[in-house]
Amino acid sequence: MDKKQNAVSKLLSRWRGLIQAGAALLTNIHLPNFFRGGIYQGNGKAVCVPGLNCYSCPAASGACPIGAFQSVVGSSKFGFSYYITGFLILLGVMLGRFICGFLCPFGWFQDLLHKIPGRKFSTRKLKPLTYLKYVVLALTVILLPALVVNDVGMGDPIFCKYICPQGVLEGAIPLAAVDSGIRAALGVLFTQKLIVLIAVLVLSILFYRPFCKWICPLGAFYGLMNKVSLMGIKVDDHKCVSCGKCAAICKMDVDITKSPNHSECIRCGKCINACPTNSLCFRYGLGNDMKEKK
Amino acid sequence: MKKILTLVLAVLMILSLGACGMKGGSGTDNEPKNLDEAVTMYKDLMAQENEILSKNKKLWETVFIAADKGMTLQEDFKNYGDFLQDTIDSIKDKFSDDELKTLKSEAKKIQDIEKKLTKLEEMYPEVAEKAKEDSMKESGDGSMCVPADSVSANTKKFPSFTAKDLDGNKVDSNKLFAGNTVTVMNFWFTTCKPCVGELKDLEALNKKLAKKGGQVVGVNSFTLDGDKKAISEAKDILSKKGISYKNIWFKSDSDAGKFTSELYSYPTTFVIDKSGNIVGDPIVGAITSSDQMNALNKLIDKAMK
Repeated sequence: MDKKQNAVSKLLSRWRGLIQAGAALLTNIHLPNFFRGGIYQGNGKAVCVPGLNCYSCPAASGACPIGAFQSVVGSSKFGFSYYITGFLILLGVMLGRFICGFLCPFGWFQDLLHKIPGRKFSTRKLKPLTYLKYVVLALTVILLPALVVNDVGMGDPIFCKYICPQGVLEGAIPLAAVDSGIRAALGVLFTQKLIVLIAVLVLSILFYRPFCKWICPLGAFYGLMNKVSLMGIKVDDHKCVSCGKCAAICKMDVDITKSPNHSECIRCGKCINACPTNSLCFRYGLGNDMKEKK
Repeated sequence: MKKILTLVLAVLMILSLGACGMKGGSGTDNEPKNLDEAVTMYKDLMAQENEILSKNKKLWETVFIAADKGMTLQEDFKNYGDFLQDTIDSIKDKFSDDELKTLKSEAKKIQDIEKKLTKLEEMYPEVAEKAKEDSMKESGDGSMCVPADSVSANTKKFPSFTAKDLDGNKVDSNKLFAGNTVTVMNFWFTTCKPCVGELKDLEALNKKLAKKGGQVVGVNSFTLDGDKKAISEAKDILSKKGISYKNIWFKSDSDAGKFTSELYSYPTTFVIDKSGNIVGDPIVGAITSSDQMNALNKLIDKAMK
């Protein structure tokens, strides 16, 4: 049983690039909109996609959970984004940061950028920065949009407005390319965010997934949910020879044998393939690793 | 074959326009590089249209007689080809099946040509005037089969509507536009912060325009079809912001309703002249910044000319 699980896990991890491409395509299925200009505004937009994928991408099939959360929490009509929070908890419990590793288009984009050859740097020493994303989540997604409001009780989607590089990449740039009205409306804000995008782009070539590690509020939320997620990685302590190869290959700086539910683990499965004794595999369900530990 | 070619050309043109944008200008063969080229293209297209019309002169005359009776109809169409199609439909029992087929396919060609003409006019607003002058000089007798005022039918009309304001009073687009020197139509929705943020600026603009016989009209996209809850929420915001100018809604399946649902950036502001034509490109985004306000004022000045 374990052997089969291990083989399946390895396959899943090896096919990750294809799954990422498929997910990016599915969450951006309305491709003709790129040429026509305009965005899809049908019923699909009532649902959130799992990854960070801008609502305003011409091709987007659904809404971005982070964008939707902010616009609801910041609107004068609603107090809190119950529907989206519930949706995020559901996804978090079902998949956790597996979404970051396999389904998020912006994660895939950074993966691809990192494949550009050149000198690569480790982020191991920059660990404190990983806590920044929780601040981003708490401040720019939840607190500021809900609390900093105008005279009629409306807040700004601070994260979308000032930080999110995915919005520039998927929304502003393609829309401005085909729509002269939008092009005319671009201002300082666009320039600022373009700088953020370029910075993330450059950093992604030098470091592995800097945005996911340090900034992404969605990653922060799924990271917390990693602790209780049904999707996880199982470590077979009987087989493990503590060689440390899994920790060495991990680009998210996780030692899977010590903390299989680490909030930084994006479940990419590199460790599973690196393990010489096949003691790692994906697990799905309740508390397998708990039993292992006892 | 010609039809296919025309279609391909039209598609290419729309694509190339999309790719380079209005500002970008040249780059492809289909786009005129300067006014002179545009005028040549314009005249060429007009000649094609005239050729189509003169080929089946007898049939078209029947159409034109019918059209003359209901001439006001033409105001409702952005495209002269649409107008022809509709007129043909309205008197289709006067033709045999074959004749109807010819007329329909020819009218389709005209529709395509008209689309291109509109595009040219959008790029070079003065092109129609120039082409007309030139052809007058050349032919002298003005033997065009196209009704003289077809040129004005080429410009982009705001879809006509019968709307209601938020208090339930009827608003008719023809009366509204004709009664103002300029109408500024602002599209917004209740939970859009930049939209709500510019309401006061629009109120000030309305006061300013009132002196010149103009008017600001708001359309809240949430209130389409007269949704009661949405109207009361919109009214709430409007009263909190001290807005006195008219806000209206249409049926979502009407032309103006469809026009509204095709918008995807809010707020968007259109400037409409006395005859119901949209002047220039709409202002996308709030008019709060001075750049946007200047652009809007330029359009308003142009509309009042």
